[in-house]
Amino acid sequence: MFGLIGHSTSFQDARRKAHDLGFDHIAKGDLDVWCSAPPQLVEHVEVESAVGKTIRGAYIDSCFVPEMLGRFKTARRKVLNAMELAQKKGIDISALGGFTSIIFENFNLLNHQHVRSTMLDWTRFTTGNTHTAWVISRQLEINAPKVGIDLKQSRVAVVGATGDIGSAVCRWLVSRSGVKEISLVARQQEPLTQLRDELGGGEIHSLEEALPQADAVIWVASLPKTLEIDSTTLKKPCLMIDGGYPKNLGVKFAGREVHVLNGGIVEFFKDIGWNMMELAEMDKPQRQMFACFAEAMLLEFEDCYTNFSWGRNNITLEKMDFIGEASVRHGFSTLNLKESCQAAIA
Amino acid sequence: MQTIASPSIGLKDEQLSGILPDFTSDSYKDAYSRINAIVIEGEQEAHDNYISLGKLLPDQHEELSKLARMEMRHMKGFTACGKNLGVEADMKFAKEFFRPLHENFQTAFSEGKIPTCLLIQAILIEAFAISAYHIYIPVSDPFARKITEGVVKDEYLHLNYGQEWLKANYESSKQELFEANKANLPLVKSMLDQVADDASILHMDKEDLIEDFLIAYQEALTDIGFNTREMARMAAVALVG
Repeated sequence: MFGLIGHSTSFQDARRKAHDLGFDHIAKGDLDVWCSAPPQLVEHVEVESAVGKTIRGAYIDSCFVPEMLGRFKTARRKVLNAMELAQKKGIDISALGGFTSIIFENFNLLNHQHVRSTMLDWTRFTTGNTHTAWVISRQLEINAPKVGIDLKQSRVAVVGATGDIGSAVCRWLVSRSGVKEISLVARQQEPLTQLRDELGGGEIHSLEEALPQADAVIWVASLPKTLEIDSTTLKKPCLMIDGGYPKNLGVKFAGREVHVLNGGIVEFFKDIGWNMMELAEMDKPQRQMFACFAEAMLLEFEDCYTNFSWGRNNITLEKMDFIGEASVRHGFSTLNLKESCQAAIA
Repeated sequence: MQTIASPSIGLKDEQLSGILPDFTSDSYKDAYSRINAIVIEGEQEAHDNYISLGKLLPDQHEELSKLARMEMRHMKGFTACGKNLGVEADMKFAKEFFRPLHENFQTAFSEGKIPTCLLIQAILIEAFAISAYHIYIPVSDPFARKITEGVVKDEYLHLNYGQEWLKANYESSKQELFEANKANLPLVKSMLDQVADDASILHMDKEDLIEDFLIAYQEALTDIGFNTREMARMAAVALVG
């Protein structure tokens, strides 16, 4: 059985969702109430892949909301308790969605394997980052030509290049996509230098240097709310792939000849029949989902019970190939620019 | 999904770990005198309640007597914890603390309401105790830690016992359990509220206590047979009253 550990995109959404699901007692509670609310296994689902394999899964809401990020003990407890619930429910492989994997890594939850009487078995969990990195890379390859960008003649900036997803995307772009030039953007210099050495190429740029030169920008860093960018300095056309969480690039950049695509999102070939993606702000909640969630489903389809994506900078091209092939075979496709957008270009 | 720029997170692990309190300070001892008393009284109540349950379930008499003896051992262990720190347990406070729940148990017992008695003792009190012990262990003194770890192992046994009976008699107990939950869970909530300030001096957060209690409680309810929605609805009584 696969599991998806997720959370609402805001406290307001969480209350609305709780109300819709009939948990109206909790829906009425304030943030303090939610801070003490235990994780809930809210839904079971059965999914049949394009090759006819059927798997069962469950969605666990950790009852975390982004408003709790400042309360580090609460955030830590939410993630650990949701993981414990997944394990106790016998879920073989669970993806850590949204902020869950970020909290896991930034709060060093590897040091907190013991939750009450449960010893967490890390092999039952995956960050889903390998699939996310593969999907973002493919989104670039598929959509750049659609808006008139020839990657072989182009510069791609990767913002958040040294992160787990960012570094994997860089490896793919260098080895597989044939991108002419890459700008590596991140906050810390030392890992950037290491990454450039590993890649055997790429230039280290500040964000201000990188953006005006880039034909395409892959964002795998959350955009600070205060960041102001003059979109008139961007190249035209420019493809922006928003692979960060939460997704907030569209409001900042989208405009004439600046095309913003939500990154790391996949679409299943048929309706799944679940309720939980309704409020994840997907256009087609019955089919679309975060690629990290889909990774848990793919691992289940493939009977691959291991923490496939785990730790930092462990994503190899071989792993991306494996998960990418599985993704296509079982009926997932990447989210692409809408036809209306391409028609306008034509 | 991984991102790099989340400025509000990125704390070091030592900031996340609870630092041990000063077990010798006056404020610690003062708070401990009440918390320790609650634990001692809780184990005493458990002992008495299992003896009572043995009268309602004569065929389980032997098993329940064994449990009662175990609770008595726990009580003695926790009494030793207080003595070890040179603290005199405030038993008068603890008796008053348990009074409403005690009275509800006695009423249910006199009416022969087995599901209510089991919900109060084998589910609510046990879930309350287990969650509190789990949170106490990492911030306890070495002596109390050893005792409490031993107790936790035992406590899981009786939680299961109550669950097993209620599971086997789920359909006939269901309605009574809804009512018993409504009547008794708010009492547990107010007990948690009463003890929150003292617990925080022992470095036990109220938020942790409530969530861990609800996890244990929901786990028991699910095992008994309640579906997700019923269970969440029942547990929500503790969150929002």
